[in-house]
Amino acid sequence: MSQVSDLLRRPWVRWLILLVVAVVLAVLPLMLPVFVNQTLTRIGVYAVAVLGLNIIMGYTGQIMLGQIFFLGVGAYVTAYGVVNDWNIVVIFIAACVIPALLGLIIAFAAARLGGLAIAMVTIALPIIGVPLAKRLSDLTGGSQGTSARFSSAPDWTGLYDDQWQYYVVIVIAAVAFALAYNLVRGKYGRAMRIVKENEAVARSMGISPYRYKVMAFTIAALFGGASGFLYMVAVQYTSPETMAFHHSISLLAAMVVGGAASIAGSLIGGIYYVLVPQVTNAIDPTITAISQGVILVAVLFLLPGGLVSLPRVIRRIFRRRSGGTDQTPSPQPTPPATQAEGSETERQA
Amino acid sequence: MTLLELEDVTASYGNVQVLDGVSLSVPENGAVGILGANGAGKTTTLRAISGTVRTTGRITFEGRDIRGLRPEQVAKLGIAHVPEGRGTLGQLTVRENLRVGAYLRKDRKAIAADLDYLLELFPQLRQRISSSASALSGGEQQMLAVGRAVMAKPRLLLLDEASLGLAPSTAKAVYEAVQRLRKDSGIAMLVVEQNANLAFTVVDSATVLETGRNVLTGSSAELKGMDEIRRAYLGG
Amino acid sequence: MGTFIQLVVDGLSTGSIYAALALAIVLVNQSTGLINFAQGAMAVFSAYIAYVFVGWGVPTILAILISLIISFVIGAVVERLLIRRFEGGDPDTAVVVTIGLLTLFTGICGWLWGYNNRQFPSLFPLDTINVFGAVISVRSLGTIAVLVAIMLLLQLLFIGTKLGLALRAVSFNPTSAALSGLPVGRLLMVGWGLAAALGAVAGALVAPQLTLTPTMMDTALVYALAAVIIGGLNSPIGAVVAAWGIGVLENLGAVYVPFIGHDLKIAVPFIILFVVLLLRPQGLFGRKVVVRV
Repeated sequence: MSQVSDLLRRPWVRWLILLVVAVVLAVLPLMLPVFVNQTLTRIGVYAVAVLGLNIIMGYTGQIMLGQIFFLGVGAYVTAYGVVNDWNIVVIFIAACVIPALLGLIIAFAAARLGGLAIAMVTIALPIIGVPLAKRLSDLTGGSQGTSARFSSAPDWTGLYDDQWQYYVVIVIAAVAFALAYNLVRGKYGRAMRIVKENEAVARSMGISPYRYKVMAFTIAALFGGASGFLYMVAVQYTSPETMAFHHSISLLAAMVVGGAASIAGSLIGGIYYVLVPQVTNAIDPTITAISQGVILVAVLFLLPGGLVSLPRVIRRIFRRRSGGTDQTPSPQPTPPATQAEGSETERQA
Repeated sequence: MTLLELEDVTASYGNVQVLDGVSLSVPENGAVGILGANGAGKTTTLRAISGTVRTTGRITFEGRDIRGLRPEQVAKLGIAHVPEGRGTLGQLTVRENLRVGAYLRKDRKAIAADLDYLLELFPQLRQRISSSASALSGGEQQMLAVGRAVMAKPRLLLLDEASLGLAPSTAKAVYEAVQRLRKDSGIAMLVVEQNANLAFTVVDSATVLETGRNVLTGSSAELKGMDEIRRAYLGG
Repeated sequence: MGTFIQLVVDGLSTGSIYAALALAIVLVNQSTGLINFAQGAMAVFSAYIAYVFVGWGVPTILAILISLIISFVIGAVVERLLIRRFEGGDPDTAVVVTIGLLTLFTGICGWLWGYNNRQFPSLFPLDTINVFGAVISVRSLGTIAVLVAIMLLLQLLFIGTKLGLALRAVSFNPTSAALSGLPVGRLLMVGWGLAAALGAVAGALVAPQLTLTPTMMDTALVYALAAVIIGGLNSPIGAVVAAWGIGVLENLGAVYVPFIGHDLKIAVPFIILFVVLLLRPQGLFGRKVVVRV
């Protein structure tokens, strides 16, 4: 096994794998049936949404239950732009920027509050967003929603609609993933992780938790908006239901199951989000919710790092079996001195 | 008869080994001190007994092996631990703190009598009986912590750094009360103290710890006379 | 004037339901130090249990009492088997676990009983009385009365009994409490059991109005969370006062502030939440919390 991991460490091997994957992804839709292409497209859509969520929640450690709101805003902006004949590039930029601005404003105000308060503010977004969307019917088409047919394949490509949609979504998603990968690998990513770990320590290192929370939140909203645009490319219709609160919970579950604080985990999360309901609905729709609940709880217990950590865990099990030293320290009871002093432990308001 | 016996006890926090083979014994009704500098492992020894840290070695109480028992179970056997930092339940009143101490007991009349005794032993507590415990001064909180432990009517009292953070006169008052307690009730005691002078007012014998091991053991009289002790712990 | 009184009373009534759930959340937070996002879903499950007993011909009040006891047991078991592992760790992970529970409980309800609305019998007669020109339902008054009774019982439990003292001791300092022999693990289970029982009451009170569905208490949960934060995470009184306040202000806002109306009245608790937190981050009745590095 170690030869494989050594091989994987060589940069040229990684580039080769990436190239192979890219080629496969490019050729796939030309051969697969419409339904599969559509599924892959939707995976791309939600992978980007989960990626945004991961940046604020997985990496920076802030509970964010409103990601679906930004997806919804992005979708609505896209729909509005299409209906009013904007240039497609302008639509895309607006779909990314407007949610990002909203995220920025919200984060400015909320990031100073404790973790639970931030969570509540993010809950407010979809919960108020849905009736608001119904009310502002001039902009949004009210409860009926808006249709926006704009992602039919242009004639010069010679592609079918589903294939064109697939390419658009996959390309944009790939760019999003590449950008995110660079972000978390660099100094910003390190700073976000320190903020997640311990804000007081971050402050002592000159890292402003407030600033990084705002930044991460805005980026999450931006990715959310982008995924909203991709959603419209794939579905070509949006309604208030698109940003219902329970979707936020599903996105969070997908992030955890895929792997928090992991780029690859976000992709797995997207796959989970789309495929599991498809499978369970085919078997029996009433078991969808309970299966998702069971999977989420099981992952939290058995594989807290998410599915993306499976190879690592398997490797560790094999290493232990073959008699190697187990690196992880066995859990010790925390020395009770700090608690026995009767001091208040940190409780985030 | 030996009440408590430790044999070659080790303990570690994560990868840091704090106790490296500590042995001691406390006779029934006896009082033994654990002396030593900061970080010698004195507090950890008490924690090893009350079950709040994982250990190896032998720890027996009244002949039975208590190593590995949970703190609640150790308390049930009759060992009361007054922890470092006092462990006061701040949001409860003084009276409620004392009642918590008597949690395992069912004899209402005796509990009330013991409460009265303690309030007589520590008159400051009687004055503040209905105040929230967090409003008490350091010395009063220490007295409350001792009182709470005594309310359990233990056979063995573990007293951890009772003088910590207290003014010398207050610390002296606390130890005087502990002396009286010992005389009145005959509770066996294991007293951890950095201030050897104070410890010797209560204990019959002591062991000195250094980096998790016993380096010196003897009666109070013997130890008081030793130059090393005098230099290191009694200030000359 | 009549409308105003009606709105206030109805607001106190719905507020009482939020308050019951909020008390459960505070109880869980006090004892185990985490926020249970599944409190509402567990309450719905309890309501379904009562529904099953009613379906078997058991009188409503008895069915609810039985579901209270069963809920207590479920709450205790959930703490021991599912939550215990995550206590004392990262609170955010614990929250995600409770969100997992939320999905699980909702899913179980959906699987066992489907997603159609079920009719749940009301504890109270559907009569109304006339007070100062206002038409007030007996059910509203009954709900408020139940909540007040609960608060008195809880107060009695926590201040007047040994068990209550033990629960409080464990919630403030479990390690120190253990040194006095308190069975910490068992007491944590009792805390969760009590909270689940409180949730069961909330569920039974609201089900007749909203009709029983798996997602029945999703909105109530959000209100309850807001009430808990506004009132100060560790203050039961604060949570109840805040919940009542939210119930009343939400109703008044819907009617007297045309911009809000009935569809956006859900925004009211969040507005209050935001304002309170900006002015007083520890909540109205909360204590300032010390942060240790």
